[in-house]
Amino acid sequence: MKIKKHSTRESIDGYLFILPWLIGFLGLNLIPMVATLILGFTEYDMLSKPEFVGLSNFIRMFTDDVRYWKSVKATLYFAFVSVPVRLVFALFVAMMLHNNRRGTYFYRALYYAPSVVGSSVAVAVMWREIFGPDGLLNSILANFGLPSDTAWLGDPRFAIWTLILLVVWQFGSPMLIFLAGLKQIPIDLYESSSIDGAGPVRQFFRITLPMLTPIFLFNLIMQMITGFTAFTQAFIVTNGQGTPLDTTNFYALYLYTRAFESFQMGYGSAMAIVLLIAVALFTGLIFKSSPMWVHYESE
Amino acid sequence: MKKAVLLLIALTVLFPLVANGGADKSAAKGKEEMSVIWWGSQNRHDRTIKAIELYMEKNPNVEATYEFAGWTDYWTKTTTMAAGGMLPDVMQQDYARLAEWVDKGLMLDLEPYVADKTIDFTNVVESAIAGGRIDGDLYAVNLGMNSECFVLDVDAFEKAGIPLPPQNWTWEDFESIARELHAKLGIYGMGDGLLGDQNWKTIYLSNGEFAYNKAGTDVGYTDQSLFVKYCEMVIKMQKDGVVPSRDEELAKYGISIETKGMVQKEAAMEYFWSNQLTALASAAGEGRRFYMTHKPRLTKNGPAANYLKPSMFFSISAKSENPKRAADFINYFTNDLDVNKILEAERGVPISSAIRDGIKDQMGPAQLESFNYIDRVAKDNSPLPNPDPVGHSDIMNNVFTPQFLDPMCYGVITPKEAVATLTAEAKKILAKNK
Amino acid sequence: MVEVNRSKRTRNTILYHTLVIIIGIFMIYPILWLGGSSLKPDGEIWTRMSSIFPLKPTLEHYLDGWKGFGNISFSIFYKNTAIISVVTTLALVFSSAFIAYGFARLHFPLKKFWFACMLATLMLPLQIQLIPQYIMFSKLHWINSFKPIIVPSFFGRAFYIFMIVQFIRGVPRSLDEAAEIDGCNRFKTFFSIIMPLCTPAMITAAIFAFYWSWGEFLMPLIYLNKPKLYTISLALRSFSDPSGQTDWGAIYAMSFLSLLPVFAIFIALQKYLIEGISTEGLKG
Repeated sequence: MKIKKHSTRESIDGYLFILPWLIGFLGLNLIPMVATLILGFTEYDMLSKPEFVGLSNFIRMFTDDVRYWKSVKATLYFAFVSVPVRLVFALFVAMMLHNNRRGTYFYRALYYAPSVVGSSVAVAVMWREIFGPDGLLNSILANFGLPSDTAWLGDPRFAIWTLILLVVWQFGSPMLIFLAGLKQIPIDLYESSSIDGAGPVRQFFRITLPMLTPIFLFNLIMQMITGFTAFTQAFIVTNGQGTPLDTTNFYALYLYTRAFESFQMGYGSAMAIVLLIAVALFTGLIFKSSPMWVHYESE
Repeated sequence: MKKAVLLLIALTVLFPLVANGGADKSAAKGKEEMSVIWWGSQNRHDRTIKAIELYMEKNPNVEATYEFAGWTDYWTKTTTMAAGGMLPDVMQQDYARLAEWVDKGLMLDLEPYVADKTIDFTNVVESAIAGGRIDGDLYAVNLGMNSECFVLDVDAFEKAGIPLPPQNWTWEDFESIARELHAKLGIYGMGDGLLGDQNWKTIYLSNGEFAYNKAGTDVGYTDQSLFVKYCEMVIKMQKDGVVPSRDEELAKYGISIETKGMVQKEAAMEYFWSNQLTALASAAGEGRRFYMTHKPRLTKNGPAANYLKPSMFFSISAKSENPKRAADFINYFTNDLDVNKILEAERGVPISSAIRDGIKDQMGPAQLESFNYIDRVAKDNSPLPNPDPVGHSDIMNNVFTPQFLDPMCYGVITPKEAVATLTAEAKKILAKNK
Repeated sequence: MVEVNRSKRTRNTILYHTLVIIIGIFMIYPILWLGGSSLKPDGEIWTRMSSIFPLKPTLEHYLDGWKGFGNISFSIFYKNTAIISVVTTLALVFSSAFIAYGFARLHFPLKKFWFACMLATLMLPLQIQLIPQYIMFSKLHWINSFKPIIVPSFFGRAFYIFMIVQFIRGVPRSLDEAAEIDGCNRFKTFFSIIMPLCTPAMITAAIFAFYWSWGEFLMPLIYLNKPKLYTISLALRSFSDPSGQTDWGAIYAMSFLSLLPVFAIFIALQKYLIEGISTEGLKG
């Protein structure tokens, strides 16, 4: 049975279902969003009235701001490394913990622990404790007779990697989503393929992975958005500075310090507009490619 | 299933209840209202809350509300509030930001309240007030006097057999002492922070100038080589392991007073603001001996590199509905002995001489040392430079660390190039104030 | 044969547990470190920083930290945070599931446009919208109450809506069609077929929603102007001052305590993620 598109009854029902969101969006989200889009074309120090300046924020951003391109580079590097690693790791652990063995409850809590620590102030100190000149990592390296005097967080070559490690290590949310996705795969699919003599590896590629693609799509898009708008980790660990040498000065962090610490809300808003366009483009690309690899049971 | 529906129903019922929950119901009728906001840590919050409660006790017709936050959050919060036109009546202010806030017309001119003695400066000398003046008018009242200092670990000096330096020591003296301490004790001669922006300012201060000119429209110096020479000295000391390198500063020392080299006995000298000594002493624990001395200067008989700076201020919002009450509250902080016994000079040495004498006998040794140090600085200092100009935070965030400090310390550019960049970029930003 | 199989299975089990535990140690390390540090006396916090075991364990940081600020203790911050988190979580999960059904199953004009708008709300950093949002909420007289934090959750949030959409799209359509043939309208189909099948997704959403609202600090920072209304995360950040004295022991202790409810919720809810769902019975 093919459902007719846009039947009146269905359209009304559709709007009824999304009505709560629509109200929230139009009533609470839209004003700040539009305001931000407008402020991008102004000079606004927050304390006096915004002044319209046309495209000058954008021109300055692209041609006359050395820190801007460094922050773009740092963010792309961060996103393109951390997102795939985090996703693969999350899927791996979800597969590992997707069973009814004894201890699974306990293990899941164990693996979710880093994500719970989240953005606590204590993380800043803990990260120094692990990556400091005489921290945990160096003492492990020393045990293996390796060079062990690197100040990881203060070294321009490695500082960003400590942040990548921090987010990969907090893989709890994509893991949990994968886990929920695994739970949703009907057991009978596995049962019938077992009868057909398929082994676990084949089952993974024939059933698990295809059935999981909608969830994978979700995780991919969300992780990508989170990666591009990464803020908290760098804010807490580098005290909002993006040090050393701007190697951890992520886009969202830079935008925030421009806006709130240098009183350049207009410039910050302009940066946000560029970010919105870039992320929207990436998201659009992923969506466009999705029919090729995402398998929906319902279609 | 039914449960879910029930929950949904419960939620819709809950909604208005919760939505009103936490709303401000306490606005007592007929009472004068006043609000205060400050930044700080737990210690300051505790003391300030007690002070406000005492104020309400003494003024039963006043209902004071208050809020507080950590340093970074404080500015996000107050900036947002200012943008919404909802600043509290009394606001803690910072020397580096005051000019910016006054420039935007957010702070109230306090002159009338000084004239009618609501804020009483009988026991306060002009130099202690001057920091709150912008273009001659008073916009903020100093909450404590402060000055930069080098804290010396007396035990380390004794162990190394090095006499404590005189207060008019020079940077050359400093370098040789730091190297000697390092050679003899195997620890850092000096802790981190030598390349902070304060040294950019005070190198020129001890040359009779300042990083910024008086009007805040340009840098205040012409001879870049003075600062280049200083940077070269520090970079060389970093290379020789006499002071921590930038990567160690970032990865280890720079997070909190508790992690400083001096606290950990890894540095024999350390740079601080004088009002931090109490925190330093308590973090370092019992049995440590500290001596505070002036910052080194350019030449022995030249101007001091120190000035007396207000540690922080109270200002009144330009939109305050009850400025007279707010002014009275500031006066209470400045001149009431009872409240100062609660505050215990945690914000810096009180500006009123009567209060200083009144609380001296309840001070611990570390605090007394900082009181004495402020006395010493009061006799030997350079005049207070104007508050940092509009654009200072822009220079700090977008020029100083990313374009000067880091590239120089990681060897991307030479000190000479670094200082040239800093000067040129600062000039560009300051030119907007013309 | 049987013997060989059994020993092989035992070997696999041992291998599995060893692997899981070894990786697990790296995972639990932060919690252990935080817990251990919170028990160290002041003298040990920095001198024995990398050790997770205190030499002379003490509870003083818990007592000091719990006192909070002035006469406002952590019990008040806990109460505030609990109210916000519980209401936000319930509201978010149900409203998001409801909305998600519309996006996942029904066709209506401008659907793609609205969906794109929804995703766009995730792409503009919240920090940059703070000031217009603050001005908007102040015009509504919502400042200094929980409203700006709680009310939006009744309208769903993009992350959860999108997530549940993806789960609903994984549910075979034949199920709703069968229900419709049985005479269910769409609301009944949602409540009696889709919602139960999406339990894993909703549970997952609940775990996140709780954790995120528990730890959220930007909104409370801006909108709660009285310490009596502060949340735990806000209170925790008010402990430290980079240029002043900071009681790190108290921060560790209170941070550790603040993790417990999040953990408790996780453990309580994750057991619903254990059984695979069989669609067999429903199809029948």
